Amino acid sequence: MGELGKLHQLIIPLFGHNITINLEVIVMTWIVFVLIIVLGVSTSRKKAILPGPLQAVGELIVSLLYDLTEDALGKEYVEKYAPLVCALFMFLLVSNWLGMIPHLEEPTKDLNTTLGLGIMGFVIAHYAGIKSKGFKAYAKEYFQPIFFMMPLNLIGELAKIVSISFRLFGNIMGGSIIILVISHLIYSIILPPFLYAFFGLFVGTIQAFVFTMLTVVYISVQVK
Amino acid sequence: MAWNVETIVSLAAYLGGGLAMGLGAIGAAIGEGYTAAQANAAVSRNPKISADIFKNMLVGQAVAESASIFALVIAILLLFLDVPVPTLLKASALLGAGLCMGLGAIGSGLGSGYPGGQACFGIARQPAVTSQLTTNMLIGSAVCQTPAIFAMVVSLMLMFLNFGNAPLYPTWAAYLGAGLSMGLAAIGSGYGGGLAAGASCEGIARQPKTATNVTTIMLVGQAVSQTPAIFGLLVSFILMFKSYPESTALSASMALLGAGICMGFGGIGPGIGNGMAAEGAVRWVARNVENAGDLMRIMLVGQAVSQSTAIYAMVVSLVLIFVV
Repeated sequence: MGELGKLHQLIIPLFGHNITINLEVIVMTWIVFVLIIVLGVSTSRKKAILPGPLQAVGELIVSLLYDLTEDALGKEYVEKYAPLVCALFMFLLVSNWLGMIPHLEEPTKDLNTTLGLGIMGFVIAHYAGIKSKGFKAYAKEYFQPIFFMMPLNLIGELAKIVSISFRLFGNIMGGSIIILVISHLIYSIILPPFLYAFFGLFVGTIQAFVFTMLTVVYISVQVK
Repeated sequence: MAWNVETIVSLAAYLGGGLAMGLGAIGAAIGEGYTAAQANAAVSRNPKISADIFKNMLVGQAVAESASIFALVIAILLLFLDVPVPTLLKASALLGAGLCMGLGAIGSGLGSGYPGGQACFGIARQPAVTSQLTTNMLIGSAVCQTPAIFAMVVSLMLMFLNFGNAPLYPTWAAYLGAGLSMGLAAIGSGYGGGLAAGASCEGIARQPKTATNVTTIMLVGQAVSQTPAIFGLLVSFILMFKSYPESTALSASMALLGAGICMGFGGIGPGIGNGMAAEGAVRWVARNVENAGDLMRIMLVGQAVSQSTAIYAMVVSLVLIFVV
């Protein structure tokens, strides 16, 4: 039970501040990168009109995500944002599934990863909003319905980052804590595979989808 | 009777265990009753497929039960927990853990009965899409469990994390507040998520072609309805992991306890309200799929406005923790 809440950290002192680096998370994130690149290369290496099994899987994923983006954003933005959506979803999906392999851990279990992705989505959405509406119309929305609502509207926008990143972090970390505690209590008999199937495969897939969808929806609220 | 520390710790553990299971039994039972009621209506509408409806009812009830099972796990852990170093701080953390899980199971149990019931009724209406309805019901009610899972995580942390030598005053109030914040805030979100999932099962039965859109909007709506529970989780994490200077003044403790209670109660209403917004959007997307984009945008803006009260509660809690 001592593993609960323990982290391997590299602490670098710099100008009187300590820079803390969570080593495991970085290694796991790189493993996810490698897995996605391998998947991408292997699905698109032998392109044919009659797709092989790997190409069919790749086409399925990409076309599903393109359709999803089109539903939410409309035709004119598909080409621009669909690659981002595909990359985000695949990264989250592989990350959330990584914990099922022994000795590997989900990078999304660390708040830094999810918060980083949340801030990325926030910045993209607001940049898209400023670009499509112009800064004046964008800034005016903060003063709706009355001008003194501005601070609360601002907090409301920032709370979106908190909610989107804590939702993913809470689900993945919660799942892994529950698996750890229950496996410890029952001496890892019978139950753990089912727990991994539920929290890893099922909840992991749904949360990856929800995070991607919410990022798209935040963009669509800004551009329309 | 001697009031030594061991007695107080086991008293807190037993009280916490009782509260966890007692409160945790409320929601799931009501939700399962709703499922059964709808299953009865469904069978009387379409008696030929009563076997399918019965099967679906049992599956739906089994999923709705999971919040209570989480509470049962926590209650049993609390009853048989072996505390190596009993301290008064641990007593407060154990009581907080019990309260957190008990309150946190109410909403999810109550909510996840809705998709079960609506799926049973939908099968009677549209037997051809039985498997689709069951899948949608499972996804919807599994996502409803998220607030209960958050509550379970906070309970487990309160029980098993070693918080070191934090000063008793005011940290005891922080642990109790952490439990209350997460437990109470989970009620609204769990129930609201259930409303959205129920509407999606009904919508798919009415208009099976819209299933993809309906499921997507249901997931987005549920995710946004969970925001108050996530604020509760954030406040309880801050309460658990911030270190406080020792202070025997009552006001310091009460500020931390108040922060937890404020976020907890403040999260109930927005959770239910957001769930209603999502329910409306999902229901009307199923009937009018051409305007799905507009409906989703209106849902999100409405939810953001209804969420603002949760944000006020969070701001007040953060002020209570960091400023007062």
